[in-house]
Amino acid sequence: MTRPNRLRLILRDLGTGAAFASMAVSGQLPIWALGLFAVALVVALTGRRPFSRLPRLTAVLLVPLAGALYLAVASGRMDLVVAACSFAGLVAGQRLLSETSPSTDGQVLLAGLLMVAGGAALSGELFFAVCLMAFAVLASLSLGLAVVEAAVPVGEPVPVREVMRPLAKGTLFALLGAVAFFILFPRLNWNVGARRASPGLGTATSGFSDTVRLGGSGTLKSNPRVVLRATLAPDPGTEQLGAYWLGRTYDTFDGQEWSTIGAPKKRSRTRVTLRPGADKQVYQKVELLPAYGSRTLIALETPSKLGNALVHTSTGTRRTQLQELGGDELRFVVEGLGYSYEVYSVPPGTDTDPGKLEQLEHDQLLALPDNLDPRVTELARQVLGDEKDPLTAANKLSSWLQREYTYTLELGGDVTDPLTEFLFARKAGHCEHFATALTLLLRSQGFQARLATGFFGGERIGDEYILRAGDAHAWTHVLVPGRGFVTVDATPPAFRANQSLELLESLVSIYEAIESAWRSSVVDYSFRDQMNFVRDLTRPPRAPGDKKRLDLPPMRAWVTAVLVGVAVYQAWRYLSRRKPRTKALEATRFVDAVERQLAAVGVKPRDGETLEDVSARLTREAHPLAPAVSPLTRRYLEARFGQRALQPGESAQLLKGLKLAIAALPPEEKHQQKARA
Amino acid sequence: MGRTYLVVTFGVGLGALNTGNNLLYLVLGLLLSVIILSGVLSERCLKDLSVRRIGTEGAFAGEPFAFRWGITRKRGHAFALTLSEVDSPLTGEGGVGYLPAGAEHVVRADLTAPRRGPVKLSGVRVTTTWPLGLFAKTRVFALEGTLLVYPRRGFACEDPLDAAVGHVGEANNPRRMDGTGDMAGLKELGEHEDARRVHWMKSASAGKLLKVEREREERRTFILDVKTGLAGDVLERRCEEVAAQAHRLLEAGHEVGLELPGTRLRPGAGSGQERGILRALAWLGFEEQREEAA
Repeated sequence: MTRPNRLRLILRDLGTGAAFASMAVSGQLPIWALGLFAVALVVALTGRRPFSRLPRLTAVLLVPLAGALYLAVASGRMDLVVAACSFAGLVAGQRLLSETSPSTDGQVLLAGLLMVAGGAALSGELFFAVCLMAFAVLASLSLGLAVVEAAVPVGEPVPVREVMRPLAKGTLFALLGAVAFFILFPRLNWNVGARRASPGLGTATSGFSDTVRLGGSGTLKSNPRVVLRATLAPDPGTEQLGAYWLGRTYDTFDGQEWSTIGAPKKRSRTRVTLRPGADKQVYQKVELLPAYGSRTLIALETPSKLGNALVHTSTGTRRTQLQELGGDELRFVVEGLGYSYEVYSVPPGTDTDPGKLEQLEHDQLLALPDNLDPRVTELARQVLGDEKDPLTAANKLSSWLQREYTYTLELGGDVTDPLTEFLFARKAGHCEHFATALTLLLRSQGFQARLATGFFGGERIGDEYILRAGDAHAWTHVLVPGRGFVTVDATPPAFRANQSLELLESLVSIYEAIESAWRSSVVDYSFRDQMNFVRDLTRPPRAPGDKKRLDLPPMRAWVTAVLVGVAVYQAWRYLSRRKPRTKALEATRFVDAVERQLAAVGVKPRDGETLEDVSARLTREAHPLAPAVSPLTRRYLEARFGQRALQPGESAQLLKGLKLAIAALPPEEKHQQKARA
Repeated sequence: MGRTYLVVTFGVGLGALNTGNNLLYLVLGLLLSVIILSGVLSERCLKDLSVRRIGTEGAFAGEPFAFRWGITRKRGHAFALTLSEVDSPLTGEGGVGYLPAGAEHVVRADLTAPRRGPVKLSGVRVTTTWPLGLFAKTRVFALEGTLLVYPRRGFACEDPLDAAVGHVGEANNPRRMDGTGDMAGLKELGEHEDARRVHWMKSASAGKLLKVEREREERRTFILDVKTGLAGDVLERRCEEVAAQAHRLLEAGHEVGLELPGTRLRPGAGSGQERGILRALAWLGFEEQREEAA
């Protein structure tokens, strides 16, 4: 294989890899599809084509795979689009490993095109854009090289260097064209089969399930992805907020898992009031990002009123309702890519109404697991003595746990009794262990308490506060008579918030910013945005603080007008060059001018009479203009047929002579000529 | 490939309209802009081209022959051009990968003509699939011409008739096939050759049997003919047979003449004579066109 061939194939294979990656970043493809394609790509990149000997057999093998995928779809275990994308990946892999030929190349790149389309359907990721661009560039270069290679006679070298530059330029124009098309093409939406967009790169938090199993691995704490943005009023103005953001609570612990006994309310509402508000409430405008990956609303503790929720989907933004579940959880009714809503929360330290609790729920705040180790009760009694005040007892226990126990995320697998393991064996755990221990130690001494989960922290970015997936946290609510549920956190303060590396956080923040721009300007680009774009280009801007528009269009309108003008001019030049008009010959223009001057004094050619005939006639008639016209006629004939072109300025000089001759005509002669004419 | 590409573009467009997925709009934009780009770049590739036909040394029916065109571009460069003859029975095309401005590039193609006779050439078709091979754009350069295709090369089934003119020198002797002219050189004696021609002294010194070669020793004159009244396949076969016989005889050093209905070619030897015979055979049956071409 010659070198250009190899380069072209590498570009082709890498382009197909980029197309597959555009689907893979959605995280929805099954692992076996990822693995098979990765192997095929690596083998192809090494230049080996093992399927070239058995093209039909390997192609036939795809049939049972297609059948298996169909069964998976039919049985509901796999989404149709995901199955189609997986199959496209397999086909592309089989073609990559087959013998190289023009038809194979075409099939590989068409499969790539389908995979890119599949990626667009599966993923809203920023990485999709990167993959799309990579595929466009690599596939274009590969196709261009293939076209030239096909035209080069066998044995001659392919002019790779000469080809690459115009190809790269062309690809750049194609990408710019794609952007222009994207901006200007009217957003029509039949909306027959919209799909939900994927949550994005990496794992979403998905931290709110109906149960919390104690003793999980706890890797969430190092996940730096931003899951929530919130604007607060009044603005606290601090860089690190250090606040508790509540998601939901749990009141039942069976020794391994936390759950809630409250049943969900069937009614859905647009606004929910959980408790009476205080005088000075904290207003929050919250946005849950796709990385959040759950439908549970988050609010600063203690939320009183939540609502006006909007769900953001791949098809646009619309209003959504909220459903109340047990454990004070509020959940969005519809699933979306992200959500926006408003919350009012009672400021921390304010006495609050614990909410409407049934007797069963009240009793559950004291419930202990059946197989609770007696040492737990004994331990609580030892630490608390005869303490009667629930809040003091909680604070005592919290301080003791922070002092005597260490924080760790390095935990083994499931254990039979995670609480006993934490309190008496390992003496190390994460926030769920600390919160569970505090809650059960309090309950063992007759104090009502429950487990709360949500986020802790708040990092200021501009005017907003953000929470990362690693800010997920668990703590304890102690029911204090007259004050309601009070937050007590047993986790050592240094370990409450996100624990990812600072550098990683910075990188992720940059990525999140770019992704946010990508989502707002590309993924969520709507017809309204298009109209705004066009309107902003053409309409004059509003003066600051004034509703009246300025008289002059904005600078961008002028720039746009200039650009459009240049484009029109270029197009006109291109088209006029394509069909050049026949230029009038200099000699023809000259003879026209001569005839015009002669006509002005009544000397007009008769039907079919040329200038030569006119000149001869004038000579025959001894016309006073004949001596002037005769040399002009000779010069015209030389210029027109004798290949002795008129020199610059010569025709003007000759015409000047004729004008002088005409001017020298006696007036009565002029009148006679005109009368004859 | 372009058709499939259009189908995929249509599908993606439907998907974009159906789902309102902006990323599909982005992909659709890319696909459409590639279509536009393909058209513009292909068009630019075919601009300012001039083509001249160089032709061929000899075209025989039914077998590929080298055909050449000269192609020039005044300004800018062109890529991936393929050239072929338009509206003619000739099959095959030549290609050039990269054509820089100013210099003439000679494109060579192996063309095949299905039958003997003159082929009218009306123009040269220049096609490019640049830049992505999705769509082909073509321009035809009007260029009148005639290509004379010689009869198919093959074997002669029949031996030629007796020579019109026999051996020079001594009387004809059926057993003695060699001539008696001046000595031209020595050559190893072949199998079944006349041993009386052996030069014994030279053979003794060389250690192998060497025979004497004499000038004009094997040259005879043959007059080949195609009878009047033949037509269709019979005429074709006869033309092929005569061409093959003429080739064999001329190769052997004989003089060959040709008698055709209405045409006579005097006996001669060498490749020029063979070319003349082939040309005469190629025009046989197409005399009207020959007059037009003249």
